[in-house]
Amino acid sequence: MNRTLTYLAMAGIAVVLQTVLLPLVLQGYYKPDLLLILVIYLGLHEEPRRGCLLAYFLGWCYDGVAGSYPGLNGFLLLGVFLAVRGIVTRVNTESSPLLLVLVLAGTILQSALAAFALDFFSQAAGIWPQIAWQLPVQLLLNFIAAFALLRLSVWLQRTFMPRKTLPGLRKLDSRYES
Amino acid sequence: MLEWWHKNRPLFLGGVLILVALLWYSVSLHQKDETNFLESVVLRATGPVQAGFNRIISGSADIWGHYLYLIDTAEDNQQLIEANRTLRAVLTQSDEVRLENKRLRLLLDFKEAEKIATLPARVIAEDASSWFRTVMIDKGNEQGVTEGMPVVVAEGVVGRVVRSSPNFARVLLITDASSAVASLLQNNRARGICRGQGEQLVFDFVLRQEEVRIGDRVVTSGMGGIFPKGLVVGHVKSVNRQEFGLFQAIEVAPTVDFSHLEEVLVMLRSQQ
Repeated sequence: MNRTLTYLAMAGIAVVLQTVLLPLVLQGYYKPDLLLILVIYLGLHEEPRRGCLLAYFLGWCYDGVAGSYPGLNGFLLLGVFLAVRGIVTRVNTESSPLLLVLVLAGTILQSALAAFALDFFSQAAGIWPQIAWQLPVQLLLNFIAAFALLRLSVWLQRTFMPRKTLPGLRKLDSRYES
Repeated sequence: MLEWWHKNRPLFLGGVLILVALLWYSVSLHQKDETNFLESVVLRATGPVQAGFNRIISGSADIWGHYLYLIDTAEDNQQLIEANRTLRAVLTQSDEVRLENKRLRLLLDFKEAEKIATLPARVIAEDASSWFRTVMIDKGNEQGVTEGMPVVVAEGVVGRVVRSSPNFARVLLITDASSAVASLLQNNRARGICRGQGEQLVFDFVLRQEEVRIGDRVVTSGMGGIFPKGLVVGHVKSVNRQEFGLFQAIEVAPTVDFSHLEEVLVMLRSQQ
């Protein structure tokens, strides 16, 4: 229960960052998708049933602050979560470069699913060139955000919970030692 | 068989889940123009936090801009005095035209257009995603804002309300890919539909034989049932008339600067 509340709180912080604070720093309409990074983390370290429900619920909540298509982000985030779950038994989930690679792959998958869902089911038929055009910048932003979050998580863990470990961040300490 | 099922069960269940999610999304599109319960809860929960942060940020920006960073102020002041003088001259001329218009209207017994009540609102947040173009405003159902109401600024059309909660609402900008505004060219009254393309608009369904020039003003036609007639949408940026085909390809630059949207007006009684 506590873990679920922590994920929800993190999603809330991500939404505030993406809607109010990051638009002040970043030019244009580009912003990193912090919820996508959270869902990839869920896919790597959360058990399937809880993770599925959480990813889908977060997606529906995301629709409250992004776009005008109810259920779209639920579908996208669930798709990304299931894709990560599909490979999780074959990779080392404690590896930090893996998380960064998965963020890049997740961004591409999310864009492809969004282009499919919007083009085939809604009136926004002309959105896929826009999504394709924005993809390189989106990849870069998500990568930088994931890298920064990894460093921040390690610093927070060391500062505030030195005796505890965060799932997936156990091996990162030496890698991100400054 | 049982072994095959055990081996492929996760894949099968994953496929079923994704199909159900896609199906639910497809069904939910029918209620696209209404705010569902979860969206309303999210708006209520995030709205006050976003408004709080927005207030802190705009307060800090005000202090910086009004009291500390005054390098260009004298130059700006001189330019504003010049602009004021020019505008006063234009205003005197337009007063004459206004009076003449009033006289002619009386002569022709024209019915005055109904004035639409407007509600000022502050933009407190942007869309969370890079793909869509929506903004959140600090007015909602309790102030009379409901889905479908047009939102404007002095420069022209901003968009329409797509989600509303008691104190907050979300506005779909005309530059969003799912936005379409029934419009016409002010000069020759050629009709078409302005669709959003992220930062620009495209003016679709304008017949090939219509004379369209770069710089022509595009205004709302009032045909869609959402925007009243005569609101400025943008200016023609490029025209591509091919040898064959029914329509021409026209790009329109919106008159509103969506990257610096701070205050907007919600038109309260224009829903038809």
